[in-house]
Amino acid sequence: MAIWQIEKLGGLANFGGARSRLRSVGRFDTSSLPTADEKAAEALFQKPPKAAMSKGADGFRYRITRSTVSGSETIEVAESSVHPAIASSVKDELI
Amino acid sequence: MTTRKASTATTKHPSSPAGATIESVRGPLALGARHLHHDHNNVGTCSCFIVPKKVLERFANDKKLSVQQRQYFADAAKLEDEWRKTRAQSAKLVKETRAMLPTGMTAAAIATAAPPTLLVFDCQHGTALPGVPIPNPGTSSDPSAKQAFKETKGVVDFYQQVFGRNSLDNAGLTLISSIHFSVNYNNAGWNGNQMSYGDGDGSIFIDFTKSNDVIGHELTHGITQYTAGFAYKNQAGGLNESMSDVFGSMYRQWSANQTVSTADWLIGKDIVGPGAAAQGYKCLRDMSNPAANHCLAPQPTKFSQYQNGMDPHDASGFPNFAFYKAAKAIGGKSWEKTGKIWYQALTGFPPSPNMKMSVFANRTRTLAGSLFPADPSIKSAVDAAWKAVGL
Repeated sequence: MAIWQIEKLGGLANFGGARSRLRSVGRFDTSSLPTADEKAAEALFQKPPKAAMSKGADGFRYRITRSTVSGSETIEVAESSVHPAIASSVKDELI
Repeated sequence: MTTRKASTATTKHPSSPAGATIESVRGPLALGARHLHHDHNNVGTCSCFIVPKKVLERFANDKKLSVQQRQYFADAAKLEDEWRKTRAQSAKLVKETRAMLPTGMTAAAIATAAPPTLLVFDCQHGTALPGVPIPNPGTSSDPSAKQAFKETKGVVDFYQQVFGRNSLDNAGLTLISSIHFSVNYNNAGWNGNQMSYGDGDGSIFIDFTKSNDVIGHELTHGITQYTAGFAYKNQAGGLNESMSDVFGSMYRQWSANQTVSTADWLIGKDIVGPGAAAQGYKCLRDMSNPAANHCLAPQPTKFSQYQNGMDPHDASGFPNFAFYKAAKAIGGKSWEKTGKIWYQALTGFPPSPNMKMSVFANRTRTLAGSLFPADPSIKSAVDAAWKAVGL
C-alpha cells in the first residue's frame, strides 16, 4: 500500500497559486487501483511526462508526492497524464 | 431541464486493457470510454480529440446503445466529415485568394468567407471529448448549451466586427465547445482544438458557461495559438493569459456597450458560486486592481515580482494591469483604440513563442504611435501604463 499526497494546481482560476485562495489537495491509496493501473501510475515517477500541456491553456496540473525508503519524491504532471481516480481524490476548497 | 448527474464509482476500478482506462461514469459514453480513451502515457485518460470517425461509426452500429444514442453517434460521424470539408474549403479559399488578390483586397475576401460553424457537445459529466453532439444548441432546453452557443457566436461576431477576423484562424475555423465536462469540475479550458466547460461544484463556482468573459477568454487562447503563438510558460505564458483576460473582458464590455469607466474589469464575475460569494469573493481576477482581496486569485502588479516558472495566471497580472491603465487613460471604449493596439500587437507579427514582456510592451508603444499618429497622447498613455507596472 502506498499513500500519495495529491495537489491539483493551475486551471483558469489558478488553484494553488502563490496568492490564490483556492486549494485542492487529497490523499490516494494506490492499492485501490487495478494492478496494471497501479504499475502505470508508479511509472509516472520513473519518467514524468511534462507538466505543461503540449497545446492549449487553463489545464490543471497535478503535484504528486510519494514516500520512498530514501525520502519523499515529488513530480508535477499534466491532468491528461493522471488516472481519473487519482484526479478525483482531491477536494477543492477556499482557504 | 433534466440534468443527468453522473455517478462516480467507488475507489476500485475495473481492470482494463493495457494502455486503456474505463471512466467510471454512467451515461452513453461510459461504454465508449473504454474505446474512446487512448492513453499516451499508459496511466490514465487522454484529453485528445476528435473521436476518430471509425469509432463514431462503431458506436452508431452498437445495438447495446439506444436508438437515440446510436443516432447521435451517426450524426457526429457525418458531422465530422462536413466540418473537416468546410474547414479545408475555407483554408483553400483563403490561400487561393491571397495568391490571386492584392493584400488590401485579401482582407475583404477573408471577411466575406463563410463564418465558422459553431458546434456544442455534451460530455454528460464524462471526460471524453468532444462528447455527444447537441442538435440546435442555440435553442436547446439545456441553458449551458444555449449559453455556450450564444456567447461563442458573440465572440465570433466581436472579432469579426471589431477586428475583421473570421474565427480563430481568420479562415472560418469551426468552433467546438463541450459542456458538462466531468463532475463538479471547477474549470474551463482550451486544449489546442476546442473549448471545454465544467459545471462547477455549486459552491465555489457555478456553471463556467455563465460568464461571457470566460468564453471570450478561452476562445482568445485559440487566437493566440494561431497568431503570436506565445508559449504557456514564463513571460510568454503570462502574456498568453493576459491576452485572454484582455480580450475576454473587452468582449464582455463590447457586449454591454460599456465604456472603460462603466466596465467593472472583473474576470469571471458570473461564475462565482454562493460559497465563495458568502466569503466576499467577487471574481477570479480584477484587471483594475490585480492584488484585490475580493479576487479568488489575486495577482502581482509589478514586473519586479516576476519569477521564472510562475503560473501564467500569476504572470498575467502586470500586463493585465497595464492594459487597464492604458485603456482608462485613453478613455472611450476599450476596443476602439487600446484594443486595436493590443490586437495588432498580438496578430500583426510572426509567431514569437518566447516573447518577453518588455518586447511586447515596446511593440504596443510603437503601434500606438503608428496607428494613431495624429494623437500623441495615446502613445503617451500606453507608455505610462507599462512604466507603472515596471516595464
